[in-house]
Amino acid sequence: MSKIYRLAGVSLATALACGLATSANAQLLQHKDLSSAIATTIALTAVDACKQAGYNVSVHVVGRNGEVLVGLRHHAAGVNTFENSWKKAYTSRTFRIASGKFAENVGQNPVAGQLFLANITAARGALPIMIGEETIGAVGVSGAPGGDKDEVCAQAGIDKVKDQLR
Amino acid sequence: MIKITIGTATFALACSLAIGANAQLVTIKQLSLPIAATIGTTAMETCKAQGYNVSVHVIGNMGEVLVALRGDNTGPHTMENSMRKALTSRGTRLPSGEFAENVSKTPNAGALRLGNMIPARGALPIKAGEDTIGAVGVSGAPGGDKDEVCAKAGIDKVADQLK
Repeated sequence: MSKIYRLAGVSLATALACGLATSANAQLLQHKDLSSAIATTIALTAVDACKQAGYNVSVHVVGRNGEVLVGLRHHAAGVNTFENSWKKAYTSRTFRIASGKFAENVGQNPVAGQLFLANITAARGALPIMIGEETIGAVGVSGAPGGDKDEVCAQAGIDKVKDQLR
Repeated sequence: MIKITIGTATFALACSLAIGANAQLVTIKQLSLPIAATIGTTAMETCKAQGYNVSVHVIGNMGEVLVALRGDNTGPHTMENSMRKALTSRGTRLPSGEFAENVSKTPNAGALRLGNMIPARGALPIKAGEDTIGAVGVSGAPGGDKDEVCAKAGIDKVADQLK
């Protein structure tokens, strides 16, 4: 009798495992990603917005996995701005929040673990690019005299393609 | 008397050379971001119109990246490859395909051991007159010759601004 139960148990477990395995493999994940065209528009718009405000900036747009989609170095921007705009964008994508918000969060804790991750920077000037609640990338700006001013240009870039982010 | 005259002449020559070398700064032309961005986006769009998704890098005089564009549905290596092709082209002041031809008979060529050099076609130097001031590299088309066509289209688009 107990053997029968055991066999039944094994069968049930097998069926369950197979059922789970099947549903796990039944369909691929689907998501929307930034196109090169949209990413380029975001970046160029951010550069132009800062230019009109009188600032020369470099800009990066990163995608869902933090990969660089677009990098733009302004010919008159500081040497560090290219790297900085990328790190800001990567930070914003990683934490799914404005890099300035991350900077605020870790401001009280200079040994926050996140600060020891590669390419994370506690500097304002990048914003996540969202579809609804989902973060699909980020845009980072560096070169204006103040991260708040960088962030305005990042926002302008996202606003420009707002109706395509859905 | 003669000896003194020669000595003076030598001294004068040395001074004039020294002063000449320091008298003025070097003036070079530099790609602006708008021009570099036009080259990059034109190269990408040209390939796209031919049915090829490519990534593109435009680099400046010192090999610094001015524009980096990752194409839709491109292989992950195309970003690195387009950058390295461009750097190779800038460094040698040649199409990267010509460099590839040159080193094909000398696989031990020192140039192949330099960082980021790659013997692969698809990048062209950007010139202002005779001076190389940067390069554009393309990767993703099925063949470096097809990449190169798009690089050329990018440069052609701004030809009248490269002087």
